Amino acid sequence: MFKILRDLLRYNTEFLIGFVLTGAIFLFAAAHFFAPYPDNAIYMLPPDMPPSAEYWLGTTSRGQDVLWQMSAAIWNTMTFGLTVTVISRFLALAMGMTSGYLGGRTDQALMTINDTLIALPNIPILLLVYFVMRDQMSWPILALTAALLGWNYDARLIRSVALSLRTREFTRHAVFAGMSVPQILIRQHLPYVMPVIFFTAMNNLIWAIGLEVTLSVLGFSDINRPTVGGMIYWANQHQAIIAGIWWWIAFPIIAIVLLFLGLFLLAISVNEYIDPRSRLSRMGG
Amino acid sequence: MLHLAESQPRTDTETVLSVENLKAYYQMNYFGVSREVRAVDDVTLAIRRNEIYGIAGESSSGKSTLIKTIAGAIQPPLRVVSGSVTFNFAGKPLDVYGAPEAMKDARWRHLSYIMQGSMNVLNPVRRVKHAFHDFAFAHMGLANTAFWGRVREHLKRLGLDPRVLDSYPHQLSGGMRQRLTIALATVCEPEFIIADEPTTALDVLVQQDVLALIKDVQQRMGSSIIFVTHDMTVHAAIADRIGIVYAGRLVEEGPTEDVFAKPQHPYTVHLISSLPRLGDVTRRKALPGKPPNLSDPPAACRFHPRCPLAVDRCRTENPPLVPRASGRVACWRAGEAEVS
Repeated sequence: MFKILRDLLRYNTEFLIGFVLTGAIFLFAAAHFFAPYPDNAIYMLPPDMPPSAEYWLGTTSRGQDVLWQMSAAIWNTMTFGLTVTVISRFLALAMGMTSGYLGGRTDQALMTINDTLIALPNIPILLLVYFVMRDQMSWPILALTAALLGWNYDARLIRSVALSLRTREFTRHAVFAGMSVPQILIRQHLPYVMPVIFFTAMNNLIWAIGLEVTLSVLGFSDINRPTVGGMIYWANQHQAIIAGIWWWIAFPIIAIVLLFLGLFLLAISVNEYIDPRSRLSRMGG
Repeated sequence: MLHLAESQPRTDTETVLSVENLKAYYQMNYFGVSREVRAVDDVTLAIRRNEIYGIAGESSSGKSTLIKTIAGAIQPPLRVVSGSVTFNFAGKPLDVYGAPEAMKDARWRHLSYIMQGSMNVLNPVRRVKHAFHDFAFAHMGLANTAFWGRVREHLKRLGLDPRVLDSYPHQLSGGMRQRLTIALATVCEPEFIIADEPTTALDVLVQQDVLALIKDVQQRMGSSIIFVTHDMTVHAAIADRIGIVYAGRLVEEGPTEDVFAKPQHPYTVHLISSLPRLGDVTRRKALPGKPPNLSDPPAACRFHPRCPLAVDRCRTENPPLVPRASGRVACWRAGEAEVS
């Protein structure tokens, strides 16, 4: 594992840039645990201060330090994204593998659910859930809802891998030796599917973060919890652009762009590592 | 818990497997069109303890279907229409299609399988030891250390370094992988082994090696083997008795030497005649025609359209498999054809 990481860092510039960017943003986000002010305290500082030696990224109209707000916001946004990713990976795995392996009616039933969810638009459903559950809405529930909408494409992908694994000799052998269906899926097929999971996880993380930002910018989340989208929401509420408080909006946007860029570079370079064909074309073979 | 084959009384006349009037058809019904492929049609055979029984036949003759049905490893659309398959493991009869739970317990412990294309039976993304753990551990009922001790010892006996357990399949050579799959199939010392074309993908040198290994393991454990291949020379090298399958039916059966020396059925005669012989440079004749379509087989004797000896009776009446000479044969004109 460390050898792979070392080689990727040494030979793959995209991976290096992605790794440094994502790592730096993660460290910055982790720093909010040492923040001098509580995350959701307001009017602790003079409002609307431009970036200066004292407040590096300025302060908001709500009297918060943009630097520490952003640190907590990125942490929360990433937590949301990772939660969505983990839950939706489990769903995609379970659905894709059972559907592909069992085939027949199970396959038809599961893939009908899958295709229906693919056809449904995500944002309106999330908004509906938000309005229905307005009072109980918290970020874990929102994450769960997003995860329930985020597994379908990858389930299809995993199903296609499982379909081919099902007819391999080692599967028939395992069936003959008396292994049960869960045993075959977990012990024989899962190691095969893991690279797919790693790669789709990156894409899913990017999607989930994007979703969170979208919902928060529109105010459809817990607005008192600092998130990247939440910061932009508050900036809009205080008409920061018109008031000339550009740093309130600019820095969160720069941060999220950098995070996306880092994750995207990681995703494509990891894909290059997993897919031998693109590795070969890179080597000029 | 563990009863080893060695500790049991071994009588070579005891029947380990008896198949009676077995019929297994592929029954398909798609979009209103039904099709029935009679891949195993009325097969009766018995296999004794400590015996290697060869099943020969051309492609699409139903060999693989027959042994799949015997092993109880069938999936729709393949169905057993009638007949029975009964094993006799450790003195207890076991009906393959009557007692699914008991059958599940017997798998790998008493009945193992060396597969067609067995180079691919090891999962390419997992270390070899996991295969042993998955397939054999639950069936042997040994503690962890005792189990791995047994596995290592077994590998050593088969000429493999126990370190292969920590490798991935792609790190091993073809011959090693083949040995490994044989080791995997025999580690529980099963009483019955089904080998489906285990040597077909190998070159002749490795083939010889593998055949010697299978024979050696078989003799040490006193198990019975069903050995399926279309390669008659392999049968000559390993089998005690041979059954010839044509179009889903057993047409001839007998001790290997007799089948090769005095084949009774015209089809067997052609099979034997087609083998190259040292010093003989005449061209080998191919049997005209092609194997029949099993969804619409010829009436009566299924071989009659290709048979040079066919008479009217062959077209109207199916010949039963009757004892003749040292074996059994299903032909109205048995013994009349000559090996050329």
